[in-house]
Amino acid sequence: MAQYLLTTSVGSFPKPNKLLTARSQFRRNQISLDELREVEEEATRRVIALQEELGIDILVHGEMERGDMVAYFAENWRGFSESLPVRSYGNRYYRKPIVENVVALGDSVGLTVQSWKKAAALTRRPMKGMLTGPYTICDWSFNAFYPDRRALTIDLAHLVHDEALALQNAGATYIQIDEPAISTRPEELDLAIEAMAIVTDGLSAKTISHICYGDFETILPGLFDLPVDQLDLEAANQQFALLDLLARYSWPTSKELALGVVDVHSHRIESIDEVKAGIRRALEIIPLANLLIDPDCGLKTRTWDEAEQKLRVMAQAVQEIREEDGLQ
Amino acid sequence: MKTTVMGSYPKIPAGPGPNVRTAIQRFERGLLPPSQLFEIYHQVIGRVLNLAVETQLDRTTDGQIRWYDLFDPVVRDLDNVQSAGLIRLFDNNFYVRHPLITGRLQYQGGTLAAWCRESSSLSPVPLKVALPGLFTFLEMAEDKSYVDQDVLLDDLVDVMRLTIRYLAETGVVEVQWDEPSLARAKTPPSLSRIQHAYQSLLNAVPGIDQSIFLYWGQSASWFEGLSSLPFAGIYLDVVSDPRVLDVLSQNKLDLEIGLGVLDARNVRMEDPHAVLRTLEPVLHKQGTKNIWIHPSCGLEFLPPDRAEQKVRLLQTIKSLIE
Repeated sequence: MAQYLLTTSVGSFPKPNKLLTARSQFRRNQISLDELREVEEEATRRVIALQEELGIDILVHGEMERGDMVAYFAENWRGFSESLPVRSYGNRYYRKPIVENVVALGDSVGLTVQSWKKAAALTRRPMKGMLTGPYTICDWSFNAFYPDRRALTIDLAHLVHDEALALQNAGATYIQIDEPAISTRPEELDLAIEAMAIVTDGLSAKTISHICYGDFETILPGLFDLPVDQLDLEAANQQFALLDLLARYSWPTSKELALGVVDVHSHRIESIDEVKAGIRRALEIIPLANLLIDPDCGLKTRTWDEAEQKLRVMAQAVQEIREEDGLQ
Repeated sequence: MKTTVMGSYPKIPAGPGPNVRTAIQRFERGLLPPSQLFEIYHQVIGRVLNLAVETQLDRTTDGQIRWYDLFDPVVRDLDNVQSAGLIRLFDNNFYVRHPLITGRLQYQGGTLAAWCRESSSLSPVPLKVALPGLFTFLEMAEDKSYVDQDVLLDDLVDVMRLTIRYLAETGVVEVQWDEPSLARAKTPPSLSRIQHAYQSLLNAVPGIDQSIFLYWGQSASWFEGLSSLPFAGIYLDVVSDPRVLDVLSQNKLDLEIGLGVLDARNVRMEDPHAVLRTLEPVLHKQGTKNIWIHPSCGLEFLPPDRAEQKVRLLQTIKSLIE
């Protein structure tokens, strides 16, 4: 693993056509769960092989078993039902969960552990355990049961904590708890922080929270109080305007920043020079030892070729900076 | 009392039937020619308008079925503005391409009028179109060109005046300016700035109603300032700000008032009798003639089955009053 400017991936990778077909066949009872899992694992191997080839330092497994980052948990935990698809942008839809009862793990304790274990066994590099945060699960569900958002969020926080603990007990040393919804209601930032404190309570693994597509201006500097070791923020989508905002504050020395340097919602492949320029801007305000580099978000909305090219550009840009600055 | 919907509608059906999502997927894979994609859009617009007829809406939109998002047709119709990166639409898990202003705004026209003409020709129900309000457009836009924001606002008013002028020829009877950013703003623009801008817009073209819709935030405080402008109506999101009912049950206003009483962002179905009880003080003060009821925002934040149920619920509530 490199010493400086560690690279990582955020979460999802594009699902190969073979897997999309298999998922569709499984829904129609045309193939068994074992057959579906086999195809998912084949896709996971490809995701890991690509990241290793590119020299990514901290890997993800690509979330081949998940359709959507919130729906995946809702489908497996108790208390939820599933809506018909709702559009999130463009031609992207998701089945928004409906909370219809008290939420509980049910039979799904350690839901993410098996896929993490299998992926971790395929590499010697660190593999992140991937979870969705309680505030985001609440925000991206229809609440048809709880009296208010706080009650639902806190109940969810205990479930996510149990899942994080299961990952840690399985050996995960990096646990990412995604909270992309955290900036949507600045007045609820304290609730999101309180919920994250429940999630990360007692964990010794490095904890990360990925946040994207938000109005960061409304939640900084309060966001620095989120009880995780690393904030993972998108920047390329807004031409690194985030850095101008971060420059207003002193970056907390106890926290790492994983900075998104390629836009995952654009077909355009960034140039190495523009990614390097973004990283260099970041280095002006974030201590070198605190900075990691990654894409803006999960890559599942891109084609495999686009995802690969974007990661390749990112990895090359980082490598060139390491060489130019003698950071090997 | 009259009923209406407020903007978007799901592009996919609850059951079988024409489906924009599938059509786009097939189109992108080369399995559907452009003409058939166009036809699917046409059919889905027809489905939205049929529901309006069936549920006896007094005014409807076309569901914005052809639109990528609220800003899409406006951006298409302006030179020196392009659809840029995705940004979250306020507090929703819904993302829009934000307008990127790269030069002085210039009206080119064509798209919105063509889309409205198509929908208008299909609709037996009077058709309105919901457009981004001036201040919501400016909040969501990224300006790389103007030095003076007042000049940008003046130019935006000017191109929107042209937009309305060409809409007036399409059969659309109302332009609804969506202003969630006013309802949500912690430090809103000054009332005089808002009044000046909208006054210019409202004087633009006779023969087409212009209304304003405040949603996803606090709107009660805007009554006084906005009701002095010649809007045909003010629509309000009662779900986000129930205080508007108190204000309206105490002060008689001389304009049409829309009350977004059905939560368009939650699948929970309202009890029509409970809704009616909530409305009674307002109806007592304002009378029923000038009151519209509607969902709290566009219906695309709901799955298609629930969106349809909410539209049908409007008819049920109206029937209880009649």
